[in-house]
Amino acid sequence: MKKSTIATLLVFFILIPVTLYLGLKLPGRGYYLTCTLIILEMLLPFFWVFEGRRPQARELVVIAVMCAIAIVSRVAIPIPHFKPTFAIIMLAGIAFGPEAGFMIGAITAFGSNFFAGQGAFTPWQMMAYGAGGLLAGFLAQKGWLSKKPVWLAVFGFFASVFWVGLLLDVCSVFLMPIGYTWEAVAAVFVSGFPANLMQGLCSVIVMLLFSRPLLEKLDRIKLKYNMMGADDGI
Amino acid sequence: MIMRDSFSEYHPAVNFVFFVGAIGCGVVFQHPAYLAVSVAASLLYYLTLGRKKAAKAILWMLVVVVCLAAVNPIFNTRGAHVLFSLFGRPYTQEALVYGVALSGVFLTMFLWFGCYNYVLTGDKFTSLFGNLIPSISLLLVMVLRMVPAFIKKTKQIIGARMSIGKGEDDKLREGMTVLGTLVSWALEGSIVTADSMRARGYGTAKRQSFLIYRMRKRDWWLLLTEAVLLAAVIAGACLGQANAVYLPAMGVAPLSWGAILYGIYVFIPLLINLKEAIVWHISRSGI
Repeated sequence: MKKSTIATLLVFFILIPVTLYLGLKLPGRGYYLTCTLIILEMLLPFFWVFEGRRPQARELVVIAVMCAIAIVSRVAIPIPHFKPTFAIIMLAGIAFGPEAGFMIGAITAFGSNFFAGQGAFTPWQMMAYGAGGLLAGFLAQKGWLSKKPVWLAVFGFFASVFWVGLLLDVCSVFLMPIGYTWEAVAAVFVSGFPANLMQGLCSVIVMLLFSRPLLEKLDRIKLKYNMMGADDGI
Repeated sequence: MIMRDSFSEYHPAVNFVFFVGAIGCGVVFQHPAYLAVSVAASLLYYLTLGRKKAAKAILWMLVVVVCLAAVNPIFNTRGAHVLFSLFGRPYTQEALVYGVALSGVFLTMFLWFGCYNYVLTGDKFTSLFGNLIPSISLLLVMVLRMVPAFIKKTKQIIGARMSIGKGEDDKLREGMTVLGTLVSWALEGSIVTADSMRARGYGTAKRQSFLIYRMRKRDWWLLLTEAVLLAAVIAGACLGQANAVYLPAMGVAPLSWGAILYGIYVFIPLLINLKEAIVWHISRSGI
């Protein structure tokens, strides 16, 4: 077995149960700590695999460039909840595979919070953005995702609203200072829905207008410099 | 007078451990005394770090917090003392107090993170974790450098397009064109960067990093103090000193040494700033 596989198994079968067990013993809002720790622990295997692979300079720099572009698109557009970031992460995942997609998403969330401010939501954001890139990359790798802009727009909408957006809403549920009743949780989800819808709409627009040129550019770089080929899986 | 934050000048590890402890304890403890010292310390420290900007942010936060505290009893109807009925549901005193406590946790968490953002900047984070996760911190350093460069380049692209008469109509399509141009430029540049890195031997050996921060004697002492205080506070909490139940009836543990030690812990940055200010004042008056 590979070292990273062992590490992943250790995380899921020892570290997370131990955290949960100790977390249950914490008084008060202890679950703030528990849930954030578990999210951090779930991020660890991805980072280990990435570190363990000793990525080449070209791969590293291209990932950094995609992160920076996603961050610039998040910082530069002043409309809240209307950011091309999700769509760019997903397109990067489609072009470079699920693992690179996850890294780009996670680093984008972490890096952009150096400009917007870190918070308890940082690990959740890393997870949610990363999951967006991962899903897009996975579906594209399996060949289940057509690269036609219309289909990408449909995918982008559903992935933004019901995958990344939903994960971010779960974060709000855990971090909001509310008592846990079904009404309160429902209120959080309902109040988050318009923002998710806006975000989904933005993803649709970006996918329709921008998916073809961006994918062409990324594929060209891949082909020209023979990097991040088909064997780059998770 | 320009006041510097002396706590920020300590080793990043000392800062990081402090924030892990302060934020971790801040979200777990609901005991009113623990909560009060934590809120007070984070509030004051945030103010000394951010000044006017921080004061504005705090005002907004207080508005949100008061609303959240008042809203909690609407969703949570448990509690013995009913103050009044709203929409046919009881609005209880216990739920209101619980709402205040929850908002306090929320507030102190946000304030500590606000302080964290001032103290632990990107360079400190990467220097702290550079040896543990070399590829990812290199990635992060590159990203943090690229973002300002890309924003500058975007402005250049927009300016160039304006000068040939483009960019007035259809803002959306224009935005996408600018973004596309940026991507092309950045990707080609990235290959040059990567080849240059390889030519200089990236990946041939373990990377060394230039350490600008060194653990000095005072850093070790402060780290030790933090560890001891934190251990004592956690031990006290295990003995039940921080227990507090709000619903369905109030039950709060009596005040104890744990709360006092916790108070000293959260005030560490402010105490250090105070000490520096006094030392500075004395040495200046000696001239």
